[in-house]
Amino acid sequence: MLPLSGQSSVLLIGKNGAGKTTVGLALGILQKIARGINRANDLLKPKDAAIGAGIGRSNVAVRFEIQAELDGKVYEYTVAFELWKTGDVWLVLDETFAVDSKTVYSRQLADVHIENGSISDSAESAASQQPIRAQFKEAWLPVDRHLVALPILQERSAEDPLFVFKQWLGRMLILQPIPSLIGGESKHETLAPNSQVTDFAAWFSGVLAHAPAAYGRIDEYLKQVMPDLGDIKNPVVGREQRSLFVQFSNNLGSIPVPFEDLSDGEKCFMICALVLAANDAYGPLLCFWDEPDSHLSLDEVGHFVLALRKGFQSGGQFIATSHNPEAIRRFSDENTLVLYRKSHLEPTLVRPLSEIQISGDLVGALVRGDVEP
Amino acid sequence: MSVNKYQPHVLVLPEDDANRQLANGFSLDPLLIDRRIDILEVAGGWTNVLDRFRSDHVSEMDRYPQRFMVLLIDFDERHDRLEAAKDTIPDHLAERVFILGAWSEPEALKAVLGHLEDIGSAMAKDCREDTNTIWDHDLLRHNADELERLRESVRPFLFRTI
Repeated sequence: MLPLSGQSSVLLIGKNGAGKTTVGLALGILQKIARGINRANDLLKPKDAAIGAGIGRSNVAVRFEIQAELDGKVYEYTVAFELWKTGDVWLVLDETFAVDSKTVYSRQLADVHIENGSISDSAESAASQQPIRAQFKEAWLPVDRHLVALPILQERSAEDPLFVFKQWLGRMLILQPIPSLIGGESKHETLAPNSQVTDFAAWFSGVLAHAPAAYGRIDEYLKQVMPDLGDIKNPVVGREQRSLFVQFSNNLGSIPVPFEDLSDGEKCFMICALVLAANDAYGPLLCFWDEPDSHLSLDEVGHFVLALRKGFQSGGQFIATSHNPEAIRRFSDENTLVLYRKSHLEPTLVRPLSEIQISGDLVGALVRGDVEP
Repeated sequence: MSVNKYQPHVLVLPEDDANRQLANGFSLDPLLIDRRIDILEVAGGWTNVLDRFRSDHVSEMDRYPQRFMVLLIDFDERHDRLEAAKDTIPDHLAERVFILGAWSEPEALKAVLGHLEDIGSAMAKDCREDTNTIWDHDLLRHNADELERLRESVRPFLFRTI
């Protein structure tokens, strides 16, 4: 379990192979469930047995647990999978969803048990303001063990805890951008970009369609980073297709630059701007960004990280991984977690940096390999 | 772009990791303008702060007249620390260099006031609102004169006004 509670931003550090990126992969599996992918074999591969079982063993469950506080309520979801003895099929072992420690539904193998009134006590009919307990009597239903139940269970309203949690989980931003693959064309709108952010243009369209005022936030950030930014245009260029252009201007004139022609670092600035705007527009969001310092010039790293940290101070949570000294220095002992693994055969250990004795400068200690839980 | 060297800006040179974390908290103030402040690599001891200031920053401050610097050091309960530090600042830069720090060390502040980032944020809030909620603490009160100079010089460009 990662101790992230109460922190608006957290840095994960550790040697290569310690498990930092795996945190993002685990979040990604939970995100896929919330986005409707519920077949266990579409979420896990047989090789993933090593995550929970260790080398040479496949009879131990792989368990995912997440706890989130949203609007003062604590949502908890766990799901565990086991690899069937044939070694190529994942099955659901158990599953639980609870709000404020009250179970909404629980599952063992194929049997899903919906608690009596558990959903209704938390969700009230928006129209009548009356509890809708009567609609949620205790019930049992069988669910194929190849399938996760969370996406199947129907929420009744936008206030239903299932809806609130699934929407939050599905909208998590799990980012590992590959700028060279990011173009400016979009044929649809989305609020849920993929991890490589290759659908940046669709995300840009989606955020502005959802909240046009978000452009102000995007513009505010980008003009700090690129003072010659004029504006960003996203005109229709074909049947249901848009294309992003960035207009730069100064006293020498003005030039439109197709989005795909921006540098890798400039595309990262664009992503950062959209992350900040998205958190304001439809947050609070959880944003996991694997090495946000990649592609940035050295003088930008600190400001970039700081902007993200500040952007999540009033809501949501930002989690970064990094090996970059400038990024690491922008976090402090209480919001830096050290991940450590003695070998590939042993689990990752997690300790807050504040609990580890460091001599002298943190970056110097990291360079020496002296930061160990 | 990083800080605009041709606009007023502040560079913070921290003595050690604890002071760096105070500076981090300061820079997280919601009304602070990010691109007007930068935190430099820790120097590793108060004498190293002064050495690095002399070797790296005196000429750069001459080159960039809009640059202000905060040297963040531990006072180690020494009444002569401020004067000793000031003696190393060239007279023509004295108005743009500020020497601040905990009376003993930031860890002592942490023991009584909590996380260093939170203390740093409270320092920024005091600075911006012209209050002394945190700066009036026993371990920080000795900074009063330097703080007053800092406020007069830096506050107008470092914080957004609501």
